[in-house]
Amino acid sequence: MTAPLYGYGMFGPDTGLVLAVVIGFFFGLFLERGGLGDPHKLTGVFYLRDFTVPKVMFTAILVAATGLYLLSDLNLLDMKRVWVVPTYFWPQIVGGAVFGAGFVLSGYCPGTAVAGLATGRLDALVVMAGIAAGSLLFAVLYPYVEGFYSSSAMGLATWQGLLGVNHWIVIAALSAAAAAMFYFMERFESRDR
Amino acid sequence: MEKRNFWSPYIAGAGIGLALLAAFYVMGWGLAASRAYALVAAVGLKGVSPGYAGSLDYFSGYLKAASPLKDWILFEVFGVLAGALAGAVSSGGFKPRFDRPAGMSTGRRLTTAAAGGILIGFASRLSRGCTSGVALSGGAQLAVSGWIFVIAMFAGGFVVAAVFRRLWS
Repeated sequence: MTAPLYGYGMFGPDTGLVLAVVIGFFFGLFLERGGLGDPHKLTGVFYLRDFTVPKVMFTAILVAATGLYLLSDLNLLDMKRVWVVPTYFWPQIVGGAVFGAGFVLSGYCPGTAVAGLATGRLDALVVMAGIAAGSLLFAVLYPYVEGFYSSSAMGLATWQGLLGVNHWIVIAALSAAAAAMFYFMERFESRDR
Repeated sequence: MEKRNFWSPYIAGAGIGLALLAAFYVMGWGLAASRAYALVAAVGLKGVSPGYAGSLDYFSGYLKAASPLKDWILFEVFGVLAGALAGAVSSGGFKPRFDRPAGMSTGRRLTTAAAGGILIGFASRLSRGCTSGVALSGGAQLAVSGWIFVIAMFAGGFVVAAVFRRLWS
């Protein structure tokens, strides 16, 4: 087992920065080509008129999840060296809801605003300045929100760990749910036209 | 809304999924975006007022490196800009403009863009990431964080869309 390549010292930090640009390039290319640089498409799901965001998002998650756990099961990737996003239940519920509100108001999220700017949309630049300002605001108010920020910590919780089932059960269940969701979205959209 | 020759959302989603998988395999972490904004804000504040920036506990982690801007996430976001630009230019979609909901005044669009951005920036720090770092990366790891964030995000978005029914309709 020799991956993650960086974690196993296959290359240094400077090569890592070059790879960051390469990986980011494909992320940005697929975001823009999927229509996610366009705020009208990005907000479509919230008005039930364009389901591009959930289609792209859940396809991406399930493709990456399948690949990630397949590589891990084949002993080609050491999951212990992959940084897992920690769970802080209430901060991520409240943060997610506020984020969703900001998403609909502004028409973008942090990654898609960059894609929007790349299509020539200057309103995305205003959103980007706002995101930096909001980050600064968080740092300034941190002493007051630190208690809540650190509350309801669940560590590196995963669904398979929480439910005590094999990770393929989780992936199969999520894939089935996504397939059903996509089916109804396609039907809803074709009825619209 | 302009009609564009976008790719199928499933093809675009699969491409993003493979980019995410590549990040896991090559680096050992996923894609992210919002941290780049916090990093720029921290470095910018330090340039304006080093004393005040140094007094903010939350930014100490961002500013402790010898050259904070030489960070993986900033290079990744630069790549996103380049990749999206290549996509827009090659498909004839690049056009300088100030996009907005139909019929919205420039002043009102500036307000919704800035206010929405501030909410996103604050919420991303509280959640320890955004749609990229928590929803996509955490979601693919089957981490609880990614999925509760996604559900809460859609809930928050639907509430705001229901209140402001004509905003992006």
